[in-house]
Amino acid sequence: MLYKTIDKEDLKNLIDVHLHDVECIGPRQVGTNAKGRPLYQFLPVSSFDDMDLDYDTTEYSAKTYFLPYKEVLSTFHFDDSGWTQDITYRKHPRIIVGLHRCDINGLVKLDKVFAKEFHPNPYYLSRRGNTLIIGIGCHKHCEGGFCSSIGSDSVTHGFDLFLTDIGDRYFVKVGSDRGFNALNKINVRDISDEDRNQYLSNRNNFESSFKKTVKVENLPNLLDIEFESEVWKKWGDKCMSCGSCAMVCPTCYCYGVTENLSMDFKKSEKTKQLYSCNLYDFAQVAGGHNFRPARETRLKYRYYHQHRGFVETFGQPMCVGCNRCSRVCLAGINPTEVIRDIQMEHGR
Amino acid sequence: MKYLGIETQKPKIAIFDFTSCEGCQLQLVNKEETLADFLAAVEVVNFREASSARSDDYDIAFIEGAVSRNDEVKRLTAIREKAKVLVALGTCACFGGVNKLKNEFEMKDINRDVYGKNPKETLWVRSVGEVVKVDLEIPGCPVSKNEVEAIVRHVILGAPFTFPVYPVCVECKQRFTSCLMEKGQLCLGPITRGGCNAPCSVGGTGCWGCRGPATDPNYDSFFAVTADRGFSKEDVAERMGFYGTFQEVQNR
Amino acid sequence: MKKIMHPYDITHETDMVEPLDYNRQSRLKDVDRSFKAEITNIIRLTDMEKLFQIRMVDDNDWQRFTFLPGQFVMLELPGYGEIPISFSSSPTIKSTIELCIRKTGKVTEALHRAKRGGIVGLRGPFGTYFPMEQMKGHNILLIAGGLGLAPLRAPISYVIENRADFQNVNILYGARDPSNLLFDYQYEQWNRIDDITLQVIVENPNKAWTGPVGMITKLLDDVTVPPDQTYAIVCGPPIMFKFVCNRLNAMGIPMQRMFVSLERRMHCGMGKCCRCNIGSSYTCIDGPVFDFWTVMNLKEAI
Repeated sequence: MLYKTIDKEDLKNLIDVHLHDVECIGPRQVGTNAKGRPLYQFLPVSSFDDMDLDYDTTEYSAKTYFLPYKEVLSTFHFDDSGWTQDITYRKHPRIIVGLHRCDINGLVKLDKVFAKEFHPNPYYLSRRGNTLIIGIGCHKHCEGGFCSSIGSDSVTHGFDLFLTDIGDRYFVKVGSDRGFNALNKINVRDISDEDRNQYLSNRNNFESSFKKTVKVENLPNLLDIEFESEVWKKWGDKCMSCGSCAMVCPTCYCYGVTENLSMDFKKSEKTKQLYSCNLYDFAQVAGGHNFRPARETRLKYRYYHQHRGFVETFGQPMCVGCNRCSRVCLAGINPTEVIRDIQMEHGR
Repeated sequence: MKYLGIETQKPKIAIFDFTSCEGCQLQLVNKEETLADFLAAVEVVNFREASSARSDDYDIAFIEGAVSRNDEVKRLTAIREKAKVLVALGTCACFGGVNKLKNEFEMKDINRDVYGKNPKETLWVRSVGEVVKVDLEIPGCPVSKNEVEAIVRHVILGAPFTFPVYPVCVECKQRFTSCLMEKGQLCLGPITRGGCNAPCSVGGTGCWGCRGPATDPNYDSFFAVTADRGFSKEDVAERMGFYGTFQEVQNR
Repeated sequence: MKKIMHPYDITHETDMVEPLDYNRQSRLKDVDRSFKAEITNIIRLTDMEKLFQIRMVDDNDWQRFTFLPGQFVMLELPGYGEIPISFSSSPTIKSTIELCIRKTGKVTEALHRAKRGGIVGLRGPFGTYFPMEQMKGHNILLIAGGLGLAPLRAPISYVIENRADFQNVNILYGARDPSNLLFDYQYEQWNRIDDITLQVIVENPNKAWTGPVGMITKLLDDVTVPPDQTYAIVCGPPIMFKFVCNRLNAMGIPMQRMFVSLERRMHCGMGKCCRCNIGSSYTCIDGPVFDFWTVMNLKEAI
């Protein structure tokens, strides 16, 4: 990988100059919660200064820029001779600035599902191909984040540029030719020994400040053995089946497809809506039979997919440890506690 | 649908109001971008608020409002006999709505407060479904025109029409809202049926539950969550009783 | 100044403009494209089920379209929705494909109202299939309960058309009552074929019924097959194939040689939407055909 440095001011220039020809998304403060903690979201910005790159975490992940909550897959048009089907893909370029390692790792995991395995998905790939990703290393703990426990606290690919704050400048990992060419529009320097040392010491401080809070290596096995565990009932009783965890999750990608006929009966949109395995009718089939009518089975299933199913297919868990699901859950369902509960059950 | 050889016919629709604010009827003439198409797809034969047509020959009867008087019972029963499809339109028709607050008081007190020295004979408030058989329900205060259109398409063509089973939270999240409960507001979103696209919570007001309970709501957890956040039982009960939509749990 | 980014148009990717392939597994394709197909014939089977004969409108598309018994298609009715349906016919019949469809929801209700000549959409085929090649040279038990005869009819037809490749064939079919029986006009034809035996059993007989009465497992009492020379395909509700497969296991047939077809509500057919997940498997790409040993190991499958 190529490493460069740029002045902080130059990043601002790069973004501000190109804002008129490309949409830019970044972390913006949208308010505060009841405890006075600032709330951030990835939103379109109209100037670099709209962003706060010093943010801790966002309420929502940036996945919706790749997997929108609602997306028209195709449109059927009706006329006297029958129907035709139109399919279009989003092809507007976009820059997302400020993704943390967890979120980039989330995208890398989504790539495994939508971009690499069989049945590559053009809707996703078109959005991915039209998005320049400028990541940035976080340097403060987000509440309850367990990225280091789950191996998503470092990032090697899935971005175009990745910035690390080293004082008045950024240490930049260049992840693609597109990123390389973007850098060449501003003052870019090769790294000096000082840059490297500063980067490594920042990185060390970051790593040593993290404590492992949960062990996930044994989960594929445990989740299978503990399929009937009482632990699921305990957490399932809390779950309100509201799907919020899946909505904010950077990797949850389940969806449903519906068709919506227009009132003039001339067209019908086939629309994909992101869904959640916690929602009541997720596993309902024609005729009404529901394979998972109980909350605890649906809750269990989310863990089973993230920490066993995905591991079986791709060799790593789907979860990136961002802890957004825990923060959004009104009922206080916290993945580290659920996982520890399962492990305690096993220890008995 | 022509491509399948399925013929469409233009259903005759009638709209009748009962105890209500008549705001749901008003929704029927809303959404200008599809209003012409909507009116072309149906034949309005009775719609007091928007048309001079008065006919008793109809396929679909939309009933707005709750039932609170004896003459309403008679009128509704007569409509049921004529209508092929009877649709309860709006929260009052589906659940009784705010009118159900009446049932919390003594009949003679209410009569005195409302009619003063000229008392009238009224009944305890009931939803349409408590009086006659209802074929389809469109809850909401007011109803969403989108759902009315979907029901009409469903009746005309058998096009799929399903209410979401999930709670309001799903659509609220899909609109990037910062959770109001996290900001210290009471919100019935987690137990209320979605499909409204969360206009209230997105606008900054907690959900009042006008669409009624989601499928299999977790009341126990919801009560624990609200108690944990310092909302009194009375506040929660008052909110849930407002539209009369949560009687399944409040009478428990 | 030059733009920092240029629009990327995925439709210019070479894969996207190359000739279509229906499986679309490893190539970048318009995954949502439904191919137009005409309903050429409709056969009423019972009050609830109809058999639809369908062929693609475009001859080139039709020539390239192939599938295997056990696979499914996503059947699109524009304006109504898309549903997964198993093939009920053998791929060796080139004139049409046949889909047996029960009226259970809005899409199937609309389909039941459709007329001959109607144009629907097809995506697929998707999923795993019954390993007919591997079964060659062996005895075959083909067992269906209820609507399970719809997917089972594909291997039945395949076996009949390739009669020389298989040893003795036993077809066992159980239904709730005689009015539920599917494809009853074909029973005599199947039975007349050399060394193919068809037995039908119902739970609730009417006065006209002269055949056996009871559960499907009762028919197995009279079946004697060399277990090491036998394959089985069992289609029906989970409770039915569980009983049948356990019985076959007791007869000594290896569980890896019993194949069942699972039913879930797929929304994509390509292992993306997760709606058909069972355990760690996707019914749409790891299934719908599984061997019984795999099913035993899937959480929540039965």
